[in-house]
Parts: sequence; structure tokens; C-alpha cells
Amino acid sequence: MSTANSSIRDVLYEPPGPKTRRRIGIATAVSIVVLVVLAAKVVRQFYIAGQLGPKYWSLFARYTTWRFLGRGLAGTMEVAVAASAVAFAAGLLLMLGRISRYKILRGFSTALIEITRGIPTLLFIYFFFLLAPQFGLKLPAFWKITLPVAISAAGVVAEVLRSGVNAVPKGQAEAAVSLGMRGGSVFFKIVFPQGFRYVVPALISEIVIVLKDTTFAYVVNYSDLMQNAKVLISNYDALLSVYLVTAVIYILINYLLHKLSVRIAGRNRIPGITIE
Amino acid sequence: MAQEQKRADAARQVPVIELRHIDKYFGSLHVLKDVNLSVQRGEVVVIIGPSGSGKSTLCRTINRLETIDAGEIIIDGAVMPEEGKMLAKLRSEIGMVFQSFNLFEHKSILDNVTIAPRDVLRVPRKEAQEEAMRLLERVGVADQAHKVPAQLSGGQKQRVAIARSLAMHPKAILFDEPTSALDPEMIGEVLDVMTELAGEGMTMVIVTHEMNFARRVADRVIFMDGGSILEENTPQEFFSAPRSQRARDFLNSLGDRER
Repeated sequence: MSTANSSIRDVLYEPPGPKTRRRIGIATAVSIVVLVVLAAKVVRQFYIAGQLGPKYWSLFARYTTWRFLGRGLAGTMEVAVAASAVAFAAGLLLMLGRISRYKILRGFSTALIEITRGIPTLLFIYFFFLLAPQFGLKLPAFWKITLPVAISAAGVVAEVLRSGVNAVPKGQAEAAVSLGMRGGSVFFKIVFPQGFRYVVPALISEIVIVLKDTTFAYVVNYSDLMQNAKVLISNYDALLSVYLVTAVIYILINYLLHKLSVRIAGRNRIPGITIE
Repeated sequence: MAQEQKRADAARQVPVIELRHIDKYFGSLHVLKDVNLSVQRGEVVVIIGPSGSGKSTLCRTINRLETIDAGEIIIDGAVMPEEGKMLAKLRSEIGMVFQSFNLFEHKSILDNVTIAPRDVLRVPRKEAQEEAMRLLERVGVADQAHKVPAQLSGGQKQRVAIARSLAMHPKAILFDEPTSALDPEMIGEVLDVMTELAGEGMTMVIVTHEMNFARRVADRVIFMDGGSILEENTPQEFFSAPRSQRARDFLNSLGDRER
């Protein structure tokens, strides 16, 4: 049960004694039985409904199916990358505004952060899809999905970055200032690089949210993975199989992102500063 | 002999650091009460006093890391303003060594020493690095140049912090309890570097609890209590026959070990 590197778990929980070990054993066995029974029931229901029949799965033997899904995936990735970049840039600016010494800029940024955090992504999408064209703002479908997703992430990114910056000990800025460094240098050379490292995992989590938000692309008729999956479903009437495969693809991407974040965190790790 | 001559000359010149009628409050707490202090070139001034006496605050006030409510700070004849380019310039002329080292955790030891000369004085990278290596050599941590602060011991970190200050060629260095966060076996190595600096004529203001060190290197001892300077004296007189009752109480409370 114990792991080589000590974690918060080791502090929170004492190592289990003989009684606890027996209880854990019984609970584990019971859970496994319950899960197996539930899974069997689900599969049986699908079998009865005929969803496991070969006609729903044979489409995945075809190259064109995968090419179609692949194009959708490429669309998803393009939106996710562009939205993440825009969200990061906007989030950085909002964070700088929020910690600015000018009260007006501070208030303005705080308001923007609260607004972008508080409004659901779908509402922003409707704004760009339905409202903006009426005022002459006609954007390609790509930006109609990218901008709303980016905007709704920007406020969160701003707050994540700010929490990182606030976590940098005050002595770091004091040391820089006492060497004669000025505001901009102190922030961008000393404080921000350290604060950023604290929040890399939180930022990657936000990218995962951005990636999941891209599934709203169907609203604006942009072909992303989800949209293309829907097309497959209506063409082949294959609900379960296509949703399952699509879900697995999303899980894989997000798992890879998680792995990437662990790697980045590991590589940029400053000894003495731990990133969980 | 030459050293004494230099100090005599300096006495006739403007002080490197001059504080005039400094008052500071933390809320309703009056932490600095009409403090006046003048430090001559080459002088080593040691500030001692019980905790909460305002000695650290006074030290941090000298380069305006603490705001003040009244008074004037004059660095080598120039009044230190509250903000702006001139404030940064005057700060760069006064080094500061902190109790908690405050090395830049994300930068290598070498970069810790070069960053300010490069950023503030626009010294070319190579030149800054050569000078940094000389300084690291001088404080005995040149072999650690490519590590990051977390890999160093407390004593090594503090010596790097001193090298980082020296890289700006300061007119004076402030030491805010430089050995208070160190394990006992590392205090000596830091005090040795400081003693060496004092011997070379560096102007220093030192807040410390190391009484033997104070006795050894101080030109002048300043005793603070309750936000005021209660006594200014030579170390010989201060430690053998302090004038104020509170200084006597303070020295007695330290016990025989420190005295």
C-alpha cells in the first residue's frame, strides 16, 4: 500500500492495522462484485437493444471512418490550441490589470474577470453566433467557437496566474528591489517566472476544460471531433459505438495532456519548490 | 595605519547614510521614534537590542523597504525619494543582505549574482559573469556556481547573497540579522566573510545578535529599545560599561554564554 515518495496521504492516514486491513479486504471484494454485476447488466441491456450487433461496429473497420474522425480531431485540436493561446494572453493581461497600482484599471480587470468566469461558455457562443452578426461582426466558424471558449477561460487563467504570483514570497521582490531593479524587471524576471511554475498543473487543467468546451463547436457548425461523431451517428445509426470510440479519444488526449503537465512540471522543477 | 587615515578623511566628508528624524508607525504602534543616524564611509555600525525594538525596521528603512511617516533618508548626500528612478538608483548603491537569504530560487547561483548588474547597470553578460565568478570565489562558493539556491546550505546561500550585493559595487551594505536563520555550525563562515569585508573598509550597518562578532568588528554600537536609539557607544565601552540601564538589563539577560 505504501508508495516510495511520501505524499500528503501518508500524513493524513495512519498505516492500516490488522482490523482495518481485513475491513479494506472485505470492502474491496464487495465493490468488485457489485461493479462486475452492474457492468454485466449494462452490456446485457445493450445486447438486448441490439447495439452490440456487427452493423454498428463494422464501420470502424473502414479507413474512411477513421479519416473522418481524424479530420474532426484535427479541427478540435486547432480550436483548442488557438483558444488556449488567446486565453493565456488575455488571462495574463487581465492578471496584470488586476494587480496594477491604478485603481481604475484594477476595477475594470476585476469586473472583466468576474464576468468571463461567471458566464457559461455556451452563452458566449450564442453571442458570437447569433448576436454579433446582427451588428455586422461576421466571423468564420473557427473563430465563432475559438473566441467564446478562450474568453470564458481567460478569467480563470487570470486568477490562476494571480494565485501563483501571490504565492511567491515577498522577500524575492524585496531582494530584487534592493538591488536597484525596477517594477517591470522585478515582476517579469523574478516574481512571474516563479509564480508561473507553481501553477503549471492548474493551467494544464484549464487546457483540459478548454478542450472539452470545444465540443460546443456543433452549435456553430464547425467540424470538430464531436460534430463529426454526430454525423457518423446519423449516417450509421450507431449511437453507442461512435460515442464510446469518441469518448475514448477524448480521454486519451486529456490523459496525454496530464502526462505532459507532469513532464513539464518535472523538467521545470526548482529543487525546493514542489509541484504536485 | 592607512586605514585609520582613510577613516579620518571620511569623517570630514558627507556621511554615506544619514537618517534624519525618522518616524514610523505600524497602525497605532510607534515603531521608530524620531530616529537619527549617520554612518560615515568605511564605518561598521552594529545595531543591537531586544526583539521588537525596531532594529530590523530601522535597517529596512534605510533603503525604503519600509515606508516612513516622517523624516529624511540621505544616501551619500542625495535625498532618497519615495518612488521612481532615483529611488531605484539609490537603492542600487546600498546592498542588502536578508535574514532569509532571499536568493532568486529559479535562477542559478551565477545568475543570482549577475542579474542585477546586467539588468540595472547594463553590464554585458560575459563581463558580469567573470566578475560574478571572482566574487563567488572570494566568498568561497565558486564551485556551486551552476547549482540553484535550494541545493546550497544556509551558510553558502548567505555568502552568495553577500556576493550578489557586492556585484553592484555598493557604497554600503545593510545586514538584517544575517545569521539568525543559520544552523550554529554555519554562522562562523558567514561572519568570517563579513569580518573580511569590514577589514577591507566596506561601510556596513549590521543588525545582529552575535555579541562577540559585534565587539570584534563594530566601530560603533547602537542600542535600540522601544523604537528609539538609547545608546551610541564604542563596542569596548558598550559591552563593559553601558551607559543606559536598559542596555545593562539587555546584556545581563543574554547570560554569560554570549558575553
